[in-house]
Amino acid sequence: MKVLAIILAGGRGERLYPLTRDRAKPAVPFGAIYRIIDFTLSNCINSGVRHIYALTQYKSISLHRHIELGWSILSAPLGEFIEVIPAQQRIDEQWYQGTADAIYQNIYTLQEERPDLILILSGDHIYKMDYRKMIDFHLERKADLTVAAIRMDRSLSREFGVIEVDGDWRIVGFQEKPDEPKPIPGDPQGILASMGVYVFNIETLVRRLIEDARSDSSHDFGKDIIPAMIQKDRVFAFDFRQGDRGGTGYWRDVGTVEAYFEANMDLVSLTPQLNLYDPDWRILTYQSPYPPAKTVHAEEGRTGTVINSIISNGCIISGGRIKRSVLSPRVKVHSYVEVEDSILLDGVDVGRGAKIRRTIVDKEIQIPEGMEIGYHLEEDAKRFTVTPSGIVVVPKWIRL
Amino acid sequence: MVVEDEEGLRLFYEEELKSEGYEVITARNGKEAIRQVEEGSPDLIILDIVMPVMDGMEALSRILRKDRKIPIILNTSYAGYREDFMSWAADAYVTKSTDLTELKRKIRELLKKKKAR
Repeated sequence: MKVLAIILAGGRGERLYPLTRDRAKPAVPFGAIYRIIDFTLSNCINSGVRHIYALTQYKSISLHRHIELGWSILSAPLGEFIEVIPAQQRIDEQWYQGTADAIYQNIYTLQEERPDLILILSGDHIYKMDYRKMIDFHLERKADLTVAAIRMDRSLSREFGVIEVDGDWRIVGFQEKPDEPKPIPGDPQGILASMGVYVFNIETLVRRLIEDARSDSSHDFGKDIIPAMIQKDRVFAFDFRQGDRGGTGYWRDVGTVEAYFEANMDLVSLTPQLNLYDPDWRILTYQSPYPPAKTVHAEEGRTGTVINSIISNGCIISGGRIKRSVLSPRVKVHSYVEVEDSILLDGVDVGRGAKIRRTIVDKEIQIPEGMEIGYHLEEDAKRFTVTPSGIVVVPKWIRL
Repeated sequence: MVVEDEEGLRLFYEEELKSEGYEVITARNGKEAIRQVEEGSPDLIILDIVMPVMDGMEALSRILRKDRKIPIILNTSYAGYREDFMSWAADAYVTKSTDLTELKRKIRELLKKKKAR
């Protein structure tokens, strides 16, 4: 059984701005040393899926570089690969019109590979899932399409494709971002949300993509392909709990700065919902060989201190205090600094006496001595992005 | 529109279809066909596959981006084309022959279907 994974990695992530000013959403750093796409790629590797394409379109340099540096781990002689495919404009000069169009425009690539099954994934989500379980389910049910589904609260229906199933988990209805969602039978407050994870039989996929391409449509899996297929094909939902490697039902879209911040903060809690420490389900990434993290100074009031935080290689905490924060590699924190509930990305340098709270600082930013960020939100809003809940984002390339 | 690189065949199709009462335009390769479509879509396209400059398969995919609904008949003597996923996007397939009965039947069918839409 030949399975080809295609990761849709062109997500603009507009609501993550300014973190997505210079990079596509899958390339946004997460959890100190990872990029968002690492979770999906790791799921593939851990599930034994080793034929992987990532489709990109704009702002893809950062993602290309990351995958080239960190993910050249498969065996080409065995026919395995992880390859980034930029929009090739082979059949159109335009950008991809929708998720289904992205696959349709790469129909030649599908043909060259000729897999039996296509696993379509999003590069935007953070979760740990064994795709083998879903593929087995797909084969058992002799399905044409299987859609991974997760229970969500009914109040969130406007953010998701909502699936309606019968007792066999065959999909009998699909509403895209509905106001009035069909609840889960016996669970009126719950809905089954599509995770944007699909297993298709190759032939059915190609036929439905072509039909869709030849009709007036928004060329989207959720809006067009799935609703059309329910009528004529065997379409099933796969319960994420059956394939959830973490066992906690953890799946995050991190579509907004708020969600991004919370998902990072989860990692510094006592028992994170997202377990990064499972030796049987490693999350792989690219890391430069920096020296180990270090703390220095131990005088009263000038002690390099780290509490409830994640500190990466290359960090030096020199007489400053870090609390409930996530530090990427090469962050320097100088004396008398206070950093609380914050996310500092690679190479950030926090000058002597500066105070930072509830702030995301993008790469390579130099915070001047004594500067306060996150304490006077009105002032901060003049220079930085401040979210409704008061999280400050200091964008890349700003001079302070 | 007849898209065919071989001049003799192109003229033959043109004459035969004109005598059926159709208005016929022609193109010598995929690129010319696309240009014709851009100037105004014909009612139907009869498309050869193996052609110089741009083959029928690429032309098929590019024409459909310009006009999703235009009926296309793949007209070929090359049997392996079904292996090509893109060929599945055509509305009909005819094996090249000097007997055009089958081609003419398909044209009538597709035009009728188009009218009914």
